[in-house]
Amino acid sequence: MKSAADFQTVVEMTRSIPCAPAILPKLLKLTEGSSAELSELEMLISLDTGLATNVLRTANSAYFASAQRCDNIADAVLRLGSKTLYRIAATTLTGRWLVHPVRGYGWEPGDLCRHSLCVAICAEAFAKTTHLADAATAYTAGLIHDLGKFALAYANFSALDEIASRVPDEFASWREAELAVLGYDSAQVTKALLENWGFPAPFISVGFYYHAPSEAPEADRAIVTLIHAAKHVATQLGYGVGVDGFYCDPDEAALKAAGFKEAEMDAAIPEILTTIQKFISPEGEINFI
Amino acid sequence: MASISSLVEEQMRTIIVGVADYKISTDPLTYIATYALGSCLGITFYDEKRRIGALLHAMLPTANLHAGQKIREPMFLDSGIPRVLSSMVRAGAKKGDIRCKVFGGAQLMATDNFFRIGSKNIDMFYKLSQEMDLDVVAWEVSGRVNRTIRLVNHSGDVIVKVPSKPEFIR
Repeated sequence: MKSAADFQTVVEMTRSIPCAPAILPKLLKLTEGSSAELSELEMLISLDTGLATNVLRTANSAYFASAQRCDNIADAVLRLGSKTLYRIAATTLTGRWLVHPVRGYGWEPGDLCRHSLCVAICAEAFAKTTHLADAATAYTAGLIHDLGKFALAYANFSALDEIASRVPDEFASWREAELAVLGYDSAQVTKALLENWGFPAPFISVGFYYHAPSEAPEADRAIVTLIHAAKHVATQLGYGVGVDGFYCDPDEAALKAAGFKEAEMDAAIPEILTTIQKFISPEGEINFI
Repeated sequence: MASISSLVEEQMRTIIVGVADYKISTDPLTYIATYALGSCLGITFYDEKRRIGALLHAMLPTANLHAGQKIREPMFLDSGIPRVLSSMVRAGAKKGDIRCKVFGGAQLMATDNFFRIGSKNIDMFYKLSQEMDLDVVAWEVSGRVNRTIRLVNHSGDVIVKVPSKPEFIR
């Protein structure tokens, strides 16, 4: 896997995976909009049986339920509000895509989904304390930050084994090894996928620059740095981390410039962990709601 | 005819320990397992004479940062280890017969100011093991690997799994 054509093959193969989160950008736009767009939101949710089921289940959960049972999407949309709806949609759509069985990175089934969920939860927590990005946007950016690795694993390349065998003896970071062995890296694949699906520019910057936020365009640097920080904290927590996970370089300059402090990040971990454990059982089972 | 080891294997049940938790078993036909330690430490405690085992999955070195708050003791090494030891003694173990093995503490690439939980955990465990006079018989820590461990409660062996590698015993 060394030519540019192979990069296109990876992107094209990914198109055949069912349940791609391609409607997320449209949902994001609608949930940011006015109440006049609620009917369109309702229609979009109704088109996806799994998503509609999760929305109804949440609307009737102990946390949201009122005396009256909610048995249609229109009522559920009103009861939950756009922020909660978007969170459910992002987790359901991305999570469903990421649990397809794939080979590579030493992952067990569902590992990338577990790790991405942890990055999303860390990102949401840091967004609330640092105000570097809107919490819902940060959550989604965490979910989708590494889709390119999933695409490479889905393509089932023996090249992944070669990368694993050459890190760390020949290459200090996983990304350097990807570039040397494949001729491109997983961040480029993530960027191509997100562009194909019409994600807004900040998400594309996250996918492409999260390894090195100092290199990100200034307009998107804050959210890219936020995901960089969230990614590293989530990696330390261990959930779903494969053979590649610890071979990435922290960008200290970007973290300092954004105001991150180690003690504050460490102090946030107990609360982050409590949130993660609502979604992931000790056995590793993922509960999307 | 099935071998004795395969008969034992068939009867073994597995208890799973989540992050910031611990479990004890007095049943020799038990595995106590925890997944994906990352920078956390997984510490096994085993009283071979009485075949009582425990596994702690601690995330952070010290509860000091959270003084005055309600904490989950097993989340921190300095509150989790005393808790496990006292629970084991209550379950019938003798402190002087307990041996520990320690795993995890994976570290990110070199950085002076961020993401050092792995090394802080290892340093804290070393300090606590000295202060509490723990008998530590195996260290499988640091490096850049995500470890999953399983304590075999009839032998005290610990089966270690890392991504893309075969299992091994410590």
